[in-house]
Amino acid sequence: MLVTLIQLILAGVLQGGTYALAAFGLSLIFCIAEVLNITHGEFLMLGGLVTYILFATTGWNPFLILLIVIPLFILIGLAYQKAFIKPILNRPPRQLFFSSIVVTFGVAMAIEDTTSFIWGPTVKGVSFSMPALTAGRIVIPSLRLTILVLIIGLTIFLHFYLKKTFLGKAIRAILQNREGAMVIGINVPRVITFVFGIAIGLAAVAGVFYVLQFTIGPFIGLPLTIRYVAIVMLGGSGSLVGSLVGGLILGIAETFAGFFLGAHWSLAVAFFALVLVLLLKPEGLFKHV
Amino acid sequence: MFKKLLTLSGGVWILVLVGLLFLPRLVDPYWVVFLLLLFMYIGIGTSFNITAGYLGYVNLGHYVFFGISAYGFSILYSKGVPFVFCLATGVLVTLIFATLISYPFLRLKGGYFALANFGLIKLFELVAGSLRDFTGGTQGITLTPGYRPFQTYYIFLAVSLLTVIVCYWIPKSKFGLALFSIREDEEVAAAFGIHVNRNKMAAYVLSSFFPALLGGTYAWYSAFIDPEVVFGTDKALLPVTMVMMGGTGTFLGPIMGAIFMMIIEELLWTSMWLPVWIKSLHLTMLGLILAAVGIFSPGGLVTLSPFAKFFTWVGLGRFLGASHKSLKLDGT
Repeated sequence: MLVTLIQLILAGVLQGGTYALAAFGLSLIFCIAEVLNITHGEFLMLGGLVTYILFATTGWNPFLILLIVIPLFILIGLAYQKAFIKPILNRPPRQLFFSSIVVTFGVAMAIEDTTSFIWGPTVKGVSFSMPALTAGRIVIPSLRLTILVLIIGLTIFLHFYLKKTFLGKAIRAILQNREGAMVIGINVPRVITFVFGIAIGLAAVAGVFYVLQFTIGPFIGLPLTIRYVAIVMLGGSGSLVGSLVGGLILGIAETFAGFFLGAHWSLAVAFFALVLVLLLKPEGLFKHV
Repeated sequence: MFKKLLTLSGGVWILVLVGLLFLPRLVDPYWVVFLLLLFMYIGIGTSFNITAGYLGYVNLGHYVFFGISAYGFSILYSKGVPFVFCLATGVLVTLIFATLISYPFLRLKGGYFALANFGLIKLFELVAGSLRDFTGGTQGITLTPGYRPFQTYYIFLAVSLLTVIVCYWIPKSKFGLALFSIREDEEVAAAFGIHVNRNKMAAYVLSSFFPALLGGTYAWYSAFIDPEVVFGTDKALLPVTMVMMGGTGTFLGPIMGAIFMMIIEELLWTSMWLPVWIKSLHLTMLGLILAAVGIFSPGGLVTLSPFAKFFTWVGLGRFLGASHKSLKLDGT
């Protein structure tokens, strides 16, 4: 029983870590640009798709492909921001929220449809395997362990990036007080541009990890976006720790519910957890960074 | 009241109404189905405007009420309960649900409220797909099929008219004033003696009533529902999209948004002069059109000059601009 429990927690932590990466990007965009980016899940799907295509054509190690995917999607993120988000940014808050939903939902629809038109609606996965490690009776798939290590590494990197670099400090300043940040000379639109680059890069990284563990199809984007939204709500927006904890709660709740109640219940339980948290702490578990 | 009906704009309204009453006898059934879906969208979009426009709480999960009622209706109807009773139960269940959920959710502010509701719709899709004994799981529920576009047409026409009338009445009422003051500043409103929570709850529950009516009837009309049809994410975003497309600052916005949306969808599907590759990518085109409307026309399509001129000409000009102050959306 204990062994099963540990296995389940490990699986949940992995799944939650993958969620947390993309969710933190969504949460940053939501707090800094005040935009609800419904396209976020699509970028995860595209990141997975690029990995799949590169793996199928060249057979490179997927973790090397990561080095191509990250800069590629940071550029895509910057371009996406310039084309679709920048024109609506200087609207009053509530209208910006409306407009952002319409624009990003439209783009999400276009991405889904085009992907399924070009690459077909079938699910794809990267069949890349590494030898499993065993510790006593606990089996740890080393592929997943590598992913976990990478996720932890990325999180630590992000943490120090937000604490030490100028851009990171600017992001935290805007989170704390937007007007104050403007007064001391932070170029908010410029920071927003970079935030989109970082967030979409993170989503694509999560996509690479996703395609290594599960399968991707053209229509996974919108459901995933909703899952990230739940994580952002759970953890409190704009907080790296919040996204991590929210992601872990959701991941562990999903694996446990999937094991004890059946796979189709896993997400439902996670959302019940969300409603519970909202009842107790309406602003989420953690405040900004 | 009756004097008002004798003016030009009143005349236009009466003509339109009489025309709509007799239309199903005159035109092809294709257009009847087109119009009934249009009425459905108008009802959903306009009732969405009660919370999003008047109260300032953007409810991204508005479609959830539609789905709950549709499921309540179908479960009873498949057991042989008469139509009216099923519909009443569906609506009642939705109202009770809205009352219960409004307590935790209305404590959230702005974007968080929207996000929580957005999650809610996914939760219901999952629950409906998981409770196999009760809702038929992902297989959905199939009702006894029948040819019902005409009855549905009149029900939807009545419901959407009711919605539009209620939404016209709210800004003129004391209730509406309370909602607007809450939208502008909740604390100040409370200080002036408005029961903030009670009014917010009332608006939320009222806005759930109309999609509930439509949902039950829609299940009866289509004779088949599954979680994807009534709780799909694309459906959930439909009201926002329509309201935005038509124009957020106006009373006509949701109505015109629904009309534009239907026309664009129909054109992309059916028109003969479009090349084949555009038709096979019609969702892409729809998505790009949505994005373009969001980017280039912040006030929605009703504010574009040809439409604006037309509405002024038929005497609806006062509903166009943000000057119709009580209906302004972006109250900053």
